[in-house]
Amino acid sequence: MARIFALPDVGEGLTEAEILSWRVAPGDTVTVNQIIVEIETAKAAVELPSPYAGVVSELFAEPGATVAVGTPIIAIDDPLSAAAGSEPAPAGTIGEEGPSGRITTLVGYGPQASTVTRRPRKAGPTASPAAARAPLPQAKPPVRRLAKELGIDLRTVPGSGAGGVVTREDVQRAAHPVGNGTVTGAGITGSAAVGSAAVGSGTGQRREPIRGVRRATAAAVVSSAFTAPHVTVFLTVDVTPMMELRDRLVAQPRFRDVKLTPLAFAARALCLAARRTPEVNASWDEATGEIVYFDYVHLGIAAATPRGLVVPKIRNADRMSLRELAIAVDELAASAREGRTALGDMLGGTVTITNIGVFGVDTGTPILNPGESAILALGAIRDMPWVHDGAVVARKVCQLALSVDHRVVDGQQASQFLVAIATLLTDPAQAITF
Amino acid sequence: MAATAAPQTITLAKGLNQGLRAAMEADPKVIVMGEDVGRLGGVFRVTDGLQKDFGERRVFDTPLGESGIIGTAVGLAVRGYRPVCEIQFDAFVFPAFDQIVSQLAKMHYRSQGRLRMPVVVRIPHGGGIGAVEHHSESPESYFAHTPGLKVLACANPVDAYWMIQQAIACDDPVIFFEPKRRYWDKAPLDLATAPPPLFSSRVLRTGTTATVVAYGPMVRTVLDAATVAEQDGQTLEVIDLRTLSPLDLAPVFDSVRRTGRLICVSEAPGEVSLSSEVAARVSQECFYSLEAPVLRVTGFDTPYPPAKCEEDYVPDLDRVLDAVDRALAY
Amino acid sequence: MSTRTPPSSCSSSAARSAIGGPVVGTAMDVEGQHTPQQVIAGLRATSEGEDLVQLLNPEGQRVSHPRFDLEISPAELRSLYRDMVLVRRSDREAKALQRQGELGLWAPLLGQEAAQIGAGRAMAPQDMAFPSYREHGIAWCRGVDPTELFGIFRGIDQGSWDPLSTGLQLYTIVIANQCLHATGYAMGQRLDGRIGDAETGEATICFFGDGATSQGDVHEGFVWAAVYDAPVVFFCQNNQWAISASLDRQTRVPLYQRARGYGFPGIRVDGNDVLATLAATRWALRECRTGNGPVLIEACTYRMDAHTTSDDPTRYQLATELEEWKLKDPLERVRVHLVREGLAEPEFFDGLAAEADELALRLRDYCISMPAPGPERIFSKVYAESSPLLDAAREDYLAYHASFTDAGSAPGSAH
Repeated sequence: MARIFALPDVGEGLTEAEILSWRVAPGDTVTVNQIIVEIETAKAAVELPSPYAGVVSELFAEPGATVAVGTPIIAIDDPLSAAAGSEPAPAGTIGEEGPSGRITTLVGYGPQASTVTRRPRKAGPTASPAAARAPLPQAKPPVRRLAKELGIDLRTVPGSGAGGVVTREDVQRAAHPVGNGTVTGAGITGSAAVGSAAVGSGTGQRREPIRGVRRATAAAVVSSAFTAPHVTVFLTVDVTPMMELRDRLVAQPRFRDVKLTPLAFAARALCLAARRTPEVNASWDEATGEIVYFDYVHLGIAAATPRGLVVPKIRNADRMSLRELAIAVDELAASAREGRTALGDMLGGTVTITNIGVFGVDTGTPILNPGESAILALGAIRDMPWVHDGAVVARKVCQLALSVDHRVVDGQQASQFLVAIATLLTDPAQAITF
Repeated sequence: MAATAAPQTITLAKGLNQGLRAAMEADPKVIVMGEDVGRLGGVFRVTDGLQKDFGERRVFDTPLGESGIIGTAVGLAVRGYRPVCEIQFDAFVFPAFDQIVSQLAKMHYRSQGRLRMPVVVRIPHGGGIGAVEHHSESPESYFAHTPGLKVLACANPVDAYWMIQQAIACDDPVIFFEPKRRYWDKAPLDLATAPPPLFSSRVLRTGTTATVVAYGPMVRTVLDAATVAEQDGQTLEVIDLRTLSPLDLAPVFDSVRRTGRLICVSEAPGEVSLSSEVAARVSQECFYSLEAPVLRVTGFDTPYPPAKCEEDYVPDLDRVLDAVDRALAY
Repeated sequence: MSTRTPPSSCSSSAARSAIGGPVVGTAMDVEGQHTPQQVIAGLRATSEGEDLVQLLNPEGQRVSHPRFDLEISPAELRSLYRDMVLVRRSDREAKALQRQGELGLWAPLLGQEAAQIGAGRAMAPQDMAFPSYREHGIAWCRGVDPTELFGIFRGIDQGSWDPLSTGLQLYTIVIANQCLHATGYAMGQRLDGRIGDAETGEATICFFGDGATSQGDVHEGFVWAAVYDAPVVFFCQNNQWAISASLDRQTRVPLYQRARGYGFPGIRVDGNDVLATLAATRWALRECRTGNGPVLIEACTYRMDAHTTSDDPTRYQLATELEEWKLKDPLERVRVHLVREGLAEPEFFDGLAAEADELALRLRDYCISMPAPGPERIFSKVYAESSPLLDAAREDYLAYHASFTDAGSAPGSAH
């Protein structure tokens, strides 16, 4: 069996050598350690002794040739190794092909890599590293910078990355929270998610990729709906006195150019009622283990726009008069429709009203805006039979629905709050007692 | 130095040899001293032929004592010579550490500039040559950490040729690291091409996927990794630091601002390494650009292992690309 | 051209001519080689001279010495010869293995067998030896098999034998570090009260070369050993070369005379004479055992092969010098003596040759079968008490190492 001897590194890091002269020829019998060749390296001229005994079968390099370390230079037929199984091949016999197909070389140096390759790995693609839990929001530096530029407080942005990390998309979404149609951040369950994909049998399907605003809105809704335990209480109200007051007010000079809507009244009623039930103007802070009670009311007004739902906030609504609120509501709705909502108006709400009555429905079960503990849904105002002064007459009737985060607001508080709002709408004069 | 017409292909060791020769021709005050540098021409033949051409007065073999080599070089520098000292192998510098840190580094500061130390201490560093203990170390950090010294690491034959001359011409004490496993690497040397400034890093390969910074023997490893990465559609931007003290990181900052990801590769043990220093500075200067944390691929925090383990110890192409993968996963 | 006599001469003229000559710029010719006169003067000085202790001359004749003498039986002499033959054969086999790529490096001791076997056989079991990296003959005497040295040179370990149980510390590759270690160990022997009895007292012996005597550690070792009366024999094998630096690059005074400057005795012996080194080292160790240490022994010998297998001595050594020293071969003079005095039969030499062949084969088989350590070796025993950071790094690396589809075979790709 022919045994191959490859050129070793004879001097600590040498990479090649020149064959100076062969001391043996094919057919010669050699003994172990017999000098077979003289080589010249960068450092010295060196004689190489044979590692094998046997008969030289082939020389692989000519005198004068420069050979890389690890290249076979001579083959010697070793009669002993031909005996079947008698001599186990020692691990790493120099010059012989190893299992990887490379010539095994030992100490000193391996072959100069002419083909540069990467060793194949077992596992799948490297997993995205998850962030450890942290008390403050986590985000990459460029995302933080973006948030800063957009004036967004990372604490108000739900993080969709692994471990709750806030991504660039999360921030962009928080800056432009455009939803889709009737699906709102303070949405109604069972809404248009059913949508246009459902078609009768026999027709084709239309597929829309889920991305951007819809994805963001969906994430926010899911986050809220499945984090805060929602409880909804309902109350039907005779708002005829409110409507009559409205008629009187709009005739006054002060209200002449003001669009005074039931929504404005509801907003005022909510702010007053919140004084008596502060829990509805609070937030469950899971990260710090605290409930945050706000001294101010930043009232979110859900507004449907051509691009979808927007919930701009009226800042410090509790300090506004009815007139101021009416103006604010009107301006916010207008700017939202025109896509002009200022960024500062998009942030930091503490409680929300959604006026679903404009869509013609009586009531619903609104979903909280993430981070808030209460949302009031104002239904359509209809002429309905009502018991008034002992008789059944047609009155202006409206259904109110209040969803609360049951971790923050209990049933008694929710009811108290809703009753207070209803009282102010059905008997506006009661406002003098708040 | 004579400019030749056609670029000649030289090894890194030969590049140093020719650079030393040119420096000695240019300035009669340049002397070469060390163990076995004269008659033998150096154990890596870097000073081959210099004693024959310049005489024993300028190229001489010293007694076996590294502290003696550096200490007497300090004295010779005071006398007006420009000594180029050879430390035969990396780990043999430690007997001289006192003279380097206490004297060579501080003389200029102590004398407020009256005494200059235009001394070059040449040290072959790094492993990968199948050697016994103490012949494969990477002690750059000890010297980069010492104010008063300048520290260089050449990575290829062309840089070797120019940088040794520039280092000798520099009036500050220079610790000049030579990648011993690359002594036999070859490259064409075109003398018509002017060299870059000495204390500058250099972009060797442009790319957009990630920035990879290395020096000394790791530069070739990283270039090989970039070649392989390109087959997978990734383009690595490779930067050779060249100067370890003072660091020239402006090109690195510029690169990271474009790629958002940085991998630092160095052979020395990772703790308190040059890679750590670069990572800290980049984190500071490029904070808003980082899409992933700066990753370091380094030797382990263990003594350099027996030679049969060194392929596991020294960062190789696979470990560099593994780090690139991890950076991209963020 | 003035002749600067190499320092090994004992004559005072050497001292005078040394003063005033510049350190650089000698009388050497352009190639940097010694003149023939210098070579011969140097040789004569190291192998002759009144201070040289010799008991068996190169021609194989016993000579007497006034101070050192030796009673040695034929069996003991044959045993010493056998030691040297087998150590030399191990050394030659190891060099061949390096040239075949089985060892990364080998530091040959060819020519220094007598110095090491003489010193090694002078040691008592309770003594401790601090070698440099060429003391394979001392290892032999301490019962460390040549195969146990291979790990270092093959790159598998950094010294595999137990230093405390064998009485042989691990090889020290940084030049001269071991001189301080030996001194400290000897100080410990004294602190432990192990000094006093000529038979049972402990001693330490430290090995280093002529080049090492230029390192600060040797001088600090001398100072400490002298000041603390440490029971340490400083055994300097002056093989005339430190890679390419000849002895005149290390000293202006014969090395054994350095000891006087530090306050303890220095002896010069013919390092190629196993009887002289045995006698002198026995005496020196006994001095140490009884509290009269330290002692310096300079064994004058010659490095008949290169510094290591990476070195090329043809670049700086005169071929004539090598030829001169072949005539002083340490083994040959013992063989001649044994034959001439009828102290060994032909069967002895034949049996020894066969034993040497068997040994060589055993070493070869062992070497080429040595398994490479796994990657965990990198992290193994860095500390007595590991650190959590290092443990975590180890686990990370082992997981990474196992993550390749060809994990378990040789590490792959390019550097």
